[in-house]
Amino acid sequence: MDRLYNVLIAGVGGQGNLLCGRVLAEAAILKGYRPTIGETFGASRRGGTVVTHVRIGDHDLGPLIPRGTVDMLIGLEPMEALRAAVDYCGERAIAVVSTAEVQTMQCITGTTKYPPLADILDVMSSICASVSPIDPVLALGETEYRRVLNSFMLGAALTIGIAPLTANGVRESLTGLMQPVGPNVAAFDAGLKTSVRV
Amino acid sequence: MVKSQHSLMSGNEAMSRGAIEAGVRFCASYPGTPSTEITESLMRSASDRGIYVEWSTNEKVALEAASAASWVGVSALCPMKSLGLNVAADFLLNLNLSGSGKGGLVIVVCDDPEGHSSSNEQDSRFYAKAAMLPLLEPSTGQEAKEAILYAFDLSRRHEVPVIVRSTTRLSHSSSLVNVGPLPQVAPATLSSFPRGLFNVPQPAVKHRELLSKIQLIAAEFEKSSLNKLNLGPDAKTLLISSGICQSYSEEALALVHTKNTGSLGLVTTNPIPTGLIANAMAGVERVLFVEETDPFLEDEIRSQYVGLSTPDRPRFYGKRTKTLPAWGEMSVDHVVKGLSQVTDLSHEMSLHGGLDARARGAKLLISRPLTFCAGCTHRNVYWALRQEKKRRGGQLVVAGDIGCYSLGVFYDETMNTMQAMGSGIGVACGLGQLGRFGFESAVVAVAGDSTFFHACLPALVNARHKNANLTFLILDNETTAMTGFQPHPGSAVQDKGQRRISIPDLVRAIGPDYMTTSDSVEIGPLIELIHTTVAKDGLRVLILKGICRLEQQRRGVSHEGLGKVSVNPALCRGEKCKICFSQFGCTAIGWLPTEKQATILDEVCVRCGSCIGVCPYKAIRQE
Repeated sequence: MDRLYNVLIAGVGGQGNLLCGRVLAEAAILKGYRPTIGETFGASRRGGTVVTHVRIGDHDLGPLIPRGTVDMLIGLEPMEALRAAVDYCGERAIAVVSTAEVQTMQCITGTTKYPPLADILDVMSSICASVSPIDPVLALGETEYRRVLNSFMLGAALTIGIAPLTANGVRESLTGLMQPVGPNVAAFDAGLKTSVRV
Repeated sequence: MVKSQHSLMSGNEAMSRGAIEAGVRFCASYPGTPSTEITESLMRSASDRGIYVEWSTNEKVALEAASAASWVGVSALCPMKSLGLNVAADFLLNLNLSGSGKGGLVIVVCDDPEGHSSSNEQDSRFYAKAAMLPLLEPSTGQEAKEAILYAFDLSRRHEVPVIVRSTTRLSHSSSLVNVGPLPQVAPATLSSFPRGLFNVPQPAVKHRELLSKIQLIAAEFEKSSLNKLNLGPDAKTLLISSGICQSYSEEALALVHTKNTGSLGLVTTNPIPTGLIANAMAGVERVLFVEETDPFLEDEIRSQYVGLSTPDRPRFYGKRTKTLPAWGEMSVDHVVKGLSQVTDLSHEMSLHGGLDARARGAKLLISRPLTFCAGCTHRNVYWALRQEKKRRGGQLVVAGDIGCYSLGVFYDETMNTMQAMGSGIGVACGLGQLGRFGFESAVVAVAGDSTFFHACLPALVNARHKNANLTFLILDNETTAMTGFQPHPGSAVQDKGQRRISIPDLVRAIGPDYMTTSDSVEIGPLIELIHTTVAKDGLRVLILKGICRLEQQRRGVSHEGLGKVSVNPALCRGEKCKICFSQFGCTAIGWLPTEKQATILDEVCVRCGSCIGVCPYKAIRQE
């Protein structure tokens, strides 16, 4: 491999963010790479911000992606995708973002307002090379989206491509890690069929 | 050679694996992020490998127990988080002189730079210096496993405890680790108990003996293959780093594409290998120290080389020169910036859109602050305390400590002080004596059940003995919820062979002036109980039975059978009130913007009904 490939997965606790990183790392191992997974979370179990750094290379790397060197940003939640873009992304970054918002406690109680989706995507476009918004609720329905969002978004990201990996390789890794297998593989394949514009 | 097998492991799992490969038979520990998974993953191998693993009541007890095992020849591991070593430090600074045993004793301390999951970001390496004990700082998962193996070997040969220091980024990151063979050792204790396991009458002699051991270890460290020097003949700048910072330095060097800069990655950081360092520095013009969190190596190397007046002595840069920040986490970006400051290298991270877009983005972002879970009984207790504070015109101080209930500091600052495990009742001991100086506030201390066993007993005895005037609330949800539900002496379900200790029985034995046990789900009676108790005099203890909703979920307890909670729109006063969602703030209470009324989010609600007692207009009901 010419250079290493950096994937950042941003979301909130409970979305299966860390597992998503594990799937990509295991897929990379199947291809003979040495991946590193870094995780940043405060209290993920309590709905906080969770960011997973997956670094795919041929030697051991530090756990965190240096600023500006993200290749692929998988946003499981729009505002968290923006937060990750502000902190880590640069002109190399291709972003695939779920448009399904997870409101904060303060938004629910009305003390603050969740930022407009259009503004989030607009700023992200100024930071990243490209931004592809995807509506998982439209593709999967309200109930299913909550269960398998991460598998779906992995599929969507692979329509653009995660350089060192193939869709079949990720599907294989996903089959070994995600439970229940059936709905997750189905969501992954649904993600692969989405028309993601770059 | 047999081809080694590898698998994806976290740093913590790698250290646990290293201990198993080293033949560990005894592990005593207290949970704390980011160290918990070392012990947890060892527990998974415990029965297969014949390893005794326990969650001790606190880190000091854990270290004492682990030392005992090593004394009789049983290999012992003692993992803990940074703050845990503060608790164990009293014993540690005596154990260093007494020595560990032939079994070997390895202490793993996991620091948390930035304080992601801690109340401070202390650098625990200073304990190794204070106790004059060997210290290893691995930089990768693989090295973490190797460091543990080496630490056991070193400890057995020299009969000193060895400290392995990890940080959050190493403990919680995963990478491929090549595993080695598992030993087939039979458990055996020494035939006779070793002599001289005390430091009196001449601690100074013991000190001298320790220094001799450390001298031998220093010589060994000079040749250790764990340290890595990567320096070309033309190098003018040297980065000296330790732990995970080694990977940041290497990556920074790769990013700036420089040939005249080299790197020395140190794993053996106490005592420092002075010869290796001197050789590496010979001929370079400048040295940049990269480490977390304090200038530990920097100060040590500066002090060792202060006497050198040779003309080619390099200039030192690091936290002391403010080239790198002396607080928070280190990163590749910090190292690149530091490098460009001390050399003429210029490297611009390519940030498309630049600062403008980033600033606009930062303005849009709102935070996701920590909150209690839906239906958490801790919220109910703090709600009741808020009401009591109001009733007393603010004249109520709540001293607290460490656990999920620490979130009380974010809940309208209901918890006023929060420092160490058990410090709530200790601080209250002082506050409870200040009436004589005109301090008029009522005093309440708060602690959780696991914290109660960990560090509250001496302070509670002190409060009784000195007749401190205070109310002590024990929030008992019967698990160590904060770190992932580890059992403790008061847990409802105990492992085979372990006996439950009753918190009420313990407290009763201390003899408080008033004590009662109560539920904390129903808000109305809880407010009243706290009110009448705080109004009394003397030492009062309330044991408030709570429920951890995550633990319940984990056990598969369903609330489906309970009646659905809802808001009666006819009674809800909407914007005129807002008490339930903007003040009480259970995450299951939502707001309907069009109707301008509160609503219960049934998919989040655990149907506990606590909020019923919060609404002054009886608008919340349960089917």
